[in-house]
Amino acid sequence: MNPLELTLGIMTAVGGFVDISELVFAAKAGSTFGYALIWVFAFATIGIIVFSEMSGRVAAVAKQPVFNLMRHRLGLKLGLVTLIASVISSLITCAAEVGGVALILNYLTGAPYLILAVGLTVALIASIWVIPFEWIERSYGLLGLFMVVFAAALVAIHPPWHQIASGFVPQVPKGLTTKELLTFGYFAVAIVSAVMFPYEVYFYSSGGIEEGWSVKDLLTNRLTSILGMGLGSLLAISILASSAQLFGPANVDPEIPGTAALQAAIPFGKWGLILALLGMFFAVAGAAVETCLANAYSIAQFFGWKWGRHKKPWEAPRFTITWIALFIAALAIVLTGVDVMTLVEFAILFSILVLPLTYLPLLLLAGDRKFMGQYANGAIAKVLGWFYFAVVGCAAIAALPLYFLTSGGNG
Amino acid sequence: MKPDGRIKLVSELLDLPLIDSEGRYCGVVDDVELDGAAGKTLRPTALLVGPGAYSGRMPGWAMALVRLLAGSRITRVPFSKIRTIGSAVELEVPGEAVGLNKSEDRAERWIPHKGAL
Amino acid sequence: MRAPMGICILCLAACSSGPSADLQYIKQARSIGAEWALVNEQAQADQLTSTYVESMHQWLRDGLSTASSSLTEPRSAYGAEIRTLLAEPADAAPETLRGHVNKLKRIEDQLESA
Repeated sequence: MNPLELTLGIMTAVGGFVDISELVFAAKAGSTFGYALIWVFAFATIGIIVFSEMSGRVAAVAKQPVFNLMRHRLGLKLGLVTLIASVISSLITCAAEVGGVALILNYLTGAPYLILAVGLTVALIASIWVIPFEWIERSYGLLGLFMVVFAAALVAIHPPWHQIASGFVPQVPKGLTTKELLTFGYFAVAIVSAVMFPYEVYFYSSGGIEEGWSVKDLLTNRLTSILGMGLGSLLAISILASSAQLFGPANVDPEIPGTAALQAAIPFGKWGLILALLGMFFAVAGAAVETCLANAYSIAQFFGWKWGRHKKPWEAPRFTITWIALFIAALAIVLTGVDVMTLVEFAILFSILVLPLTYLPLLLLAGDRKFMGQYANGAIAKVLGWFYFAVVGCAAIAALPLYFLTSGGNG
Repeated sequence: MKPDGRIKLVSELLDLPLIDSEGRYCGVVDDVELDGAAGKTLRPTALLVGPGAYSGRMPGWAMALVRLLAGSRITRVPFSKIRTIGSAVELEVPGEAVGLNKSEDRAERWIPHKGAL
Repeated sequence: MRAPMGICILCLAACSSGPSADLQYIKQARSIGAEWALVNEQAQADQLTSTYVESMHQWLRDGLSTASSSLTEPRSAYGAEIRTLLAEPADAAPETLRGHVNKLKRIEDQLESA
């Protein structure tokens, strides 16, 4: 195990954890329910750690990415349904990320939003074309570490640490009306969806194959999953806690993503604001790249095309055409003028509906001794895997009714 | 697993990815061709790759959509060209030798060969 | 068969208009007003870049305008309050903006407890 590689992998995972959906829902969750939803972030993070570790292990041992093995497990018909659902979900998520990056750049530069969206899409396509794979992920992930300013801002505003600590205990606030209870339920489902987005597992598993992982990288995989995602989730929790401290008492339920940057501006002034916006920019841009590539991986792997950014673009031509087309499709959605917050809501909804279809084959594969040999799921992975599968299944069933009953969490 | 060993066609072979002798992905096992007749021994003779091989595995309306979007091409990969079957089907020959990778080659003409580090 | 179905449709229509249906837009307008006040307060303390402030003003105003035009009862008291808020200048005093926010919050609380 190379300590430098491990450190870079963990830092990349930390900087790349927060995307536009987590940013929006962490801020809203804090302002609406105080510290009461912290435990849901922690709970969902354990879930994504479990499935990321599994997908990395499958990549390292079976040397096949999730979607290849998913089609084999589910068959053509159900596999196609899963593919179509996950493509739609990841495309809407990518559009939300592209719109989010353009918005953040608008806050930084004042340039027109739609022109920025076009320019950024071209820049993102160029960055994936030119930069070798390992540096695509690392550059956005490491630059996303500017997001640490949110954690520093939380410390600087002297929050009630004992209340934040008690937020990690599973709870439902007392005295809520029926509508508020339903809204709490909607936020819990949305946070689970945002943290456990399917594209993260597809990208992580395919990335492991791109980097040539083998059984000697299993410890790296485990540590990257646990430490990278665990520490990354603390950034999201920092945003929630600052929102509870600063926004809730001021009657602010952030309606636009830019409001989150005020959390760093209030204690640190202009430099805090700029660092927060830069962190948001790189984290969300990285998420745009990940969702687009994850989608292209899924399609290419399902149909058995050559795939991978470790190859030159012309060495995997159908894969290359696919990810470029997906970026253009995401841009087209943004250019319709649909609000970024609306895209985030739809991304969350579609993703939670797809999650059970995504995680079931992975769970079955990772536990199959024929593929995985001695590296198949042990008792802990089995129990946690099936537990979280049940959780995402229940969340998928509850998502649409809760969305309509609470007007998308607006009560 | 060797191709002349015991194998479950549906659960162990169908929908596996194909990797050629140069380590390149070149399709998925979309169907299996069998030789024989009712009351006689059935032997798998080839793997079928391509959208045309979905026929029989999908409802008619879906197949019509597939034909519209991707055509009805089928490439036949003889069983004799298979080296091993595991989490993927590994071939003894390059994909081009059995007629695979044609769509990939056509798509390559659209991609500029420059700029990537 | 037709009468109960007709009553159902009427009920659905009633639920999709009126103060209950407008509650989500009142909340949005209240929050946007509060965000606006916070931005102006921080801008006065020189904590923000002018580019950020201008950009936030534009997006907040867009959001407020959307909330206002989505109301099913625009001639209500809350509709008038939202339009008054929308008419405030971009650099309005935080206290002025919070005055509107407090009024909208009272209306919101009344509707939620009804």
